[in-house]
Amino acid sequence: MIDIEQLVKRHGARTVLDRVGFQAAPGRVTAFLGPNGAGKSSTLRILVGLDRADGGHALVAGRRYSELAAPLRTVGSMLDGSGAHRSRTARAHLAWVARSNGIGGHRIAEVLDRVGLTDHARARVGSYSLGMGQRLGLAAALLGEPEVLVLDEPVNGLDPEGIRWIRGLLRGHADAGGTVLLSSHLMSEVAGLADDIVMIAGGRIVASGPLDEVTSGYADLEDAFFALTDAEASR
Amino acid sequence: MRLIRAVSAELSKCLTLPGGRAGIAVAMLGSIALTVLNAMTARRALASGQPELIASASPFETAFAAMPLGTVGAVVLGVIAIGSEYTPNSPDAGGGRQIGTTLTALPQRIGLLSAKAVAVVLLVVGIAAVTLPVSIGVARLIVGEFAVESVSVAEAVVRCLGGTLYWTLTGLMALAITTLTRSATVPLIVLIMNNSLVSFSLLLTNLTSLAHWLPDLAGRRLFTGIDTVDGGLDAVPGAWVMAAWTVALLLVAGAVLRRRDA
Repeated sequence: MIDIEQLVKRHGARTVLDRVGFQAAPGRVTAFLGPNGAGKSSTLRILVGLDRADGGHALVAGRRYSELAAPLRTVGSMLDGSGAHRSRTARAHLAWVARSNGIGGHRIAEVLDRVGLTDHARARVGSYSLGMGQRLGLAAALLGEPEVLVLDEPVNGLDPEGIRWIRGLLRGHADAGGTVLLSSHLMSEVAGLADDIVMIAGGRIVASGPLDEVTSGYADLEDAFFALTDAEASR
Repeated sequence: MRLIRAVSAELSKCLTLPGGRAGIAVAMLGSIALTVLNAMTARRALASGQPELIASASPFETAFAAMPLGTVGAVVLGVIAIGSEYTPNSPDAGGGRQIGTTLTALPQRIGLLSAKAVAVVLLVVGIAAVTLPVSIGVARLIVGEFAVESVSVAEAVVRCLGGTLYWTLTGLMALAITTLTRSATVPLIVLIMNNSLVSFSLLLTNLTSLAHWLPDLAGRRLFTGIDTVDGGLDAVPGAWVMAAWTVALLLVAGAVLRRRDA
């Protein structure tokens, strides 16, 4: 369960997030949609404690992220591609992440296999392609068998097969009772996957709710997206 | 428990980076290799009856002449410990930096900086525990029967501990400074130059005697003993001044890290 309320973030005089609030429920895939620069990443970064909010709060499982004792066992996140140092191997990267949260070493091989990187586990991350980096980021997110997944643009750089694969993975996670929150600026990639939609434009939430509710009255998700975000942009 | 896990993760990070391994290699193998060279020179000079060619006939002093390399190693470890978090990944691999992963794994920032500090201390003390005895042993072995040991065992022990403290504090200051700069390059160049090629602090003493209170000069007598440049603080007050600098820098680094967006 993710609960975001009245989140405000300012960079100098510019308001990046203006009272952003929404929830992501267990058992459902929530897609956080908006144009580039709308505030998706800022919201997610505050949610996992990377950035500070100037107001409001973001809770995971009822608590602030920084209050979680071994956060990776509750929340798996991917915000900045692989999130690994380029000179380290994938295996060494996952090894330190596992140690930091007291996660058993056997999980390393399991998640590498899960994301299809077993054959590249001993290669330096700097030699990876964009898609491989995304897979490694996802492996780190899955390491602690978390209930909640928070993923920023997870389909970025994945080939069609990879996109199909990640959809299956996220659907499976939600169907098993997990909470999935993913951001994207690509409507078509999430239309067939999301249960709930949250749309943000110019730092404000412009629509949120179940997919069919948000898209009712529009031809499809893309149509709804442009109608709702353009309305915000012209305000 | 949480701190132990964090320290173990930080040690693992340092040991799996080429830069971390390079720091350890410079401090350990570099010091020992330099000692071998110095000791061979000393042996040749003493064997040919020209002791005036070398600084000292003491194997201990010969080994200790390589101390600056250990300081360089400590700087590298301190800088890498936090600097590597901010190294951008190659654009082909999607860019991004490791700091996000680190802070989501360990969101308590003061705890994170403490874990990094403990890891640096453990590594530097570990390096000293191997390098100093081995270097002194190697120097004794090579200079052999020509050696004239002028340093007593008690003094040698004290200076080894002092040298270890100097390395440790230097590594911690490098950690604190790099936390503030968020990039390894500038601290690495400035701190290595200051500790090996040209001591900016020492040059400053020509302008003002206050420069003796700078951390590197204050702690200087921790390993150089008494026969060094005139002026400045004695070993014990000097150590306190250097330690105070280290604590102050770490406090500033912690306060900034705590408030800063990743």
